[in-house]
Amino acid sequence: MVIETDLLTFFEWLLVGGSDRLPAVLQFLLTAGSLILLALVIGFLAAMVRHGPLVAGDLTYGVVRNAIGELFVLSPRRIWAMARLAIQESLRRRVLVVLAVFVVVLLFAGWFLDNQTHEPVKLYVSFVMTAATYLTLLLAIFLSAFSLPNDFKNRTIYTIVTKPVRSGEIVLGRILGFSAIGTVLLAIMGLASYVFVVRAVSHRHTIVAEENLTSLAINHRHTVQIGPDGAKQTSTEMGHWHPIDSQEKNTEAPQELFRARVPHYGKLRFKGPTGADKARGISVGNEWGYRSYIEGGTEAAAVWTFTGVTADKFPDGLPVELNIRVFRTYKGNIEKGILGSIFLRNPKTGLRSDIETFEARDFHIDSRFLPRKLPRLRKDQQDAGDSEMVDLFDDLVDDQGRVEVWIQCLPRAQYFGAAQADCYLQATDDRFDWNFMKGYLGIWTQMLLVTAFGVMFSTFLSGPVALAATTGALVIGFFADFTTSVATGELEGGGPIESLIRLVTQKNVTSELEQNVATAIVQSIDAVLMIVMQSVTHVLPDFRSFSNVAWVAHGFSIPTDLVCQNLVAALAYVFGVFVGGYFFLRIREVAK
Amino acid sequence: MASDVVIETRALSKVYRDFWGRPKVQALNALDLEVRQGEIFGLLGPNGSGKTTTIKLILGLLFPTSGQALTLGRDATEVSKNERIGYLPEESYLYRFLNAEETLDFYGRLFDIPADVRKARVQTLIEEVGLGWAKRRQLKEYSKGMTRRIGLAQARINDPDLIVLDEPTTGLDPIGVREMKDMILALKDAGKTVLMCSHLLADVQDICDRIAILHQGELKELGRVDHLLRVAEETQIRAAGLNEECQQEIRDVIARHQGELLSMENPTTTLEDLFLSIVRDSEARPGRRASVESETSNEESETA
Ligand SMILES: Nc1ncnc2c1ncn2[C@@H]1O[C@H](COP(=O)(O)OP(=O)(O)O)[C@@H](O)[C@H]1O
Ligand SMILES: [Mg+2]
Repeated sequence: MVIETDLLTFFEWLLVGGSDRLPAVLQFLLTAGSLILLALVIGFLAAMVRHGPLVAGDLTYGVVRNAIGELFVLSPRRIWAMARLAIQESLRRRVLVVLAVFVVVLLFAGWFLDNQTHEPVKLYVSFVMTAATYLTLLLAIFLSAFSLPNDFKNRTIYTIVTKPVRSGEIVLGRILGFSAIGTVLLAIMGLASYVFVVRAVSHRHTIVAEENLTSLAINHRHTVQIGPDGAKQTSTEMGHWHPIDSQEKNTEAPQELFRARVPHYGKLRFKGPTGADKARGISVGNEWGYRSYIEGGTEAAAVWTFTGVTADKFPDGLPVELNIRVFRTYKGNIEKGILGSIFLRNPKTGLRSDIETFEARDFHIDSRFLPRKLPRLRKDQQDAGDSEMVDLFDDLVDDQGRVEVWIQCLPRAQYFGAAQADCYLQATDDRFDWNFMKGYLGIWTQMLLVTAFGVMFSTFLSGPVALAATTGALVIGFFADFTTSVATGELEGGGPIESLIRLVTQKNVTSELEQNVATAIVQSIDAVLMIVMQSVTHVLPDFRSFSNVAWVAHGFSIPTDLVCQNLVAALAYVFGVFVGGYFFLRIREVAK
Repeated sequence: MASDVVIETRALSKVYRDFWGRPKVQALNALDLEVRQGEIFGLLGPNGSGKTTTIKLILGLLFPTSGQALTLGRDATEVSKNERIGYLPEESYLYRFLNAEETLDFYGRLFDIPADVRKARVQTLIEEVGLGWAKRRQLKEYSKGMTRRIGLAQARINDPDLIVLDEPTTGLDPIGVREMKDMILALKDAGKTVLMCSHLLADVQDICDRIAILHQGELKELGRVDHLLRVAEETQIRAAGLNEECQQEIRDVIARHQGELLSMENPTTTLEDLFLSIVRDSEARPGRRASVESETSNEESETA
């Protein structure tokens, strides 16, 4: 599981912020504040053009005063009435057909998904969850974007707004009603896909006694061995093994096939090239980067301190997983990874184990098991004349249960990049079904967001346009990274218009454009566009960050902190969108 | 006096604009109206004269280009006024996927009515508008007249003090029209205020207490229906059992201002005649308040 952003605890995220982000509360207030201000200024200017400054001021004041009264005095009864209407509308539009589509997708999946894979759980989980995401989001977009515009088109809205319903209640009712439909659909899909995944991947083998092998099932077989408890069991293949039944004819259900690993994270600090403490490593140019780098062939090191390392938790040793990023200043043998070293050290006594080497490759997770007995550093052996081995818990873990993992880069002038989440201990497993549900909760948050945006856009746009706008928001959100890199000029080829010109004139993205007035104009228009794009991406949610599919598929437990962050962030967006929808609906002339 | 004014418009004007904000239609021009507590007020005018526009402005569905509309003492765009208002739109714009019961239940939930009262009222209203036999059918299966009836029931779901009806009788069969009129009169008896608009003179003549006649967005006439229809300069005499001589004699008598008058009254014109004359007059001299003979009677009604 490669993590690309800080994993913050919920309160850090909310109130403190990370390396390249503000605290969520502050971010929210800033965004909301500037949007409200912008809306007020635009509204005031528009009114001033038509009625002059005095009336405009009066109108603006009236809208704000009304809004404060109407936004916060909502009637649950009326919201529920509007939500019920939305639900009835969806049901009469036969949304349940989506479930049939989903079942067909599952049937297809069972039929064509590649069985050659070595990670069947990953394949099936990511497939069904992605399918569920797309289906649900598509449905959410269609339901939400067309509902209010239909009300306007059929003028049913006349009979609604002449009742004592506040605009906010209309917006909120829609969001709630469609989300309720989405929730039910997702719950059913979740259940169906869980059963599907478990049934598709669960398998047993029969024992082919004479060869000490098992039969072939989902493209693999195991050898039969004696397990640690003395009973016969199969070898571990494709990440799982089977116990063998008493008659030694068949295997039991697979073990460790459905995983929800809970990594045990440590705290990261750095050592500079001379061995001095440093807060961060070296930046290799990308100031947005979340990793920092250590130089090879020096004393520079990335040091993770793990706490709570006890013999109860890790009876046999430390299962360490490493995901080190490499930055090459010369190419070397590109086929091979860059050599690094790892050792354990007692933070109190300074006693350490001898180094083990590993090859670091980008996007590759290196799992290694450091057993209880580790070779002692040769230098120390001579000094103390002690035994050749050190014991993990007697020597390397201090009395507070802390141990340090040191990573260094061996070749000169190569660099290792590391962030806190890049090295962890593999401790316990969470329940897979529970993790699966958290994965679906991620889809649910996305569905909620899309619904909210759809309803908001549909308060002032016609159905198809609202559909397009919501899809646009979704896409911009999906490609938030890309838009940010275009906007910050990090990407070659310039802004939208410049790249269009390059496209038409078939110019390479890196070649310089001729310096003349036209280029200057194009580039300054692009500069403005890029500011707009960047503010847009800042305001729109990054939909990918709400998706937890990768965690479930890779067999990692989704951190509860992350789930909470996503939920709160989604609710904040829904709130913002609700206020926006209220205003758009309130200032709109209904009967136009 | 002020407290029993239910609707008041002050120099209310509406210009419809196109997408670019350019003026397209002057639908209403400086309308001043007052509708009082407990009366049936009719807006009368040919198609496109601005009746629906007026109603939409009064309900806050449109924003005035200039002027102001006050409904139940509050600005027309304020939502809270809707608690006491019922509205039947030009055509019944209802959710076609709901049935009659669900429709009324839904609209009922938008008001602060206890659940049991709401349920009871849904049933009585369905019976009153004569749709008991079709209450479980989706509205998309309804005929025009049936949607009209359910629309009316919808407008009364909150037992409103002010009912606004846009062309209430269109689409109804003659019995339906009769029932609708009776119902409007019943509402008046219950102390409600009714504002209705129509291009059907018969409707207005039968039930309205006061009317305003609109033409091309301008107010042409305003007053009590009975006063508007009285022709002041003429006297009509009806008598029975007179022979030729006698009739001659009566003429003499009348010439001498003597004799017994069997009946003597101002003849009434029909509303149709009045309406047509106003429209003709207005078309001949656009932009002027019609100079119908009833200015004085109009004032009478104002002070009465
Ligand atoms: N939404 C609109 N956009 C432009 N013009 C409109 C609109 N609605 C009504 N009008 C015009 O305004 C005038 C008054 O319309 P309306 O109030 O509906 O008349 P009535 O109800 O008396 O038949 C008409 O000329 C009509 O064409
Ligand atoms: Mg009309």
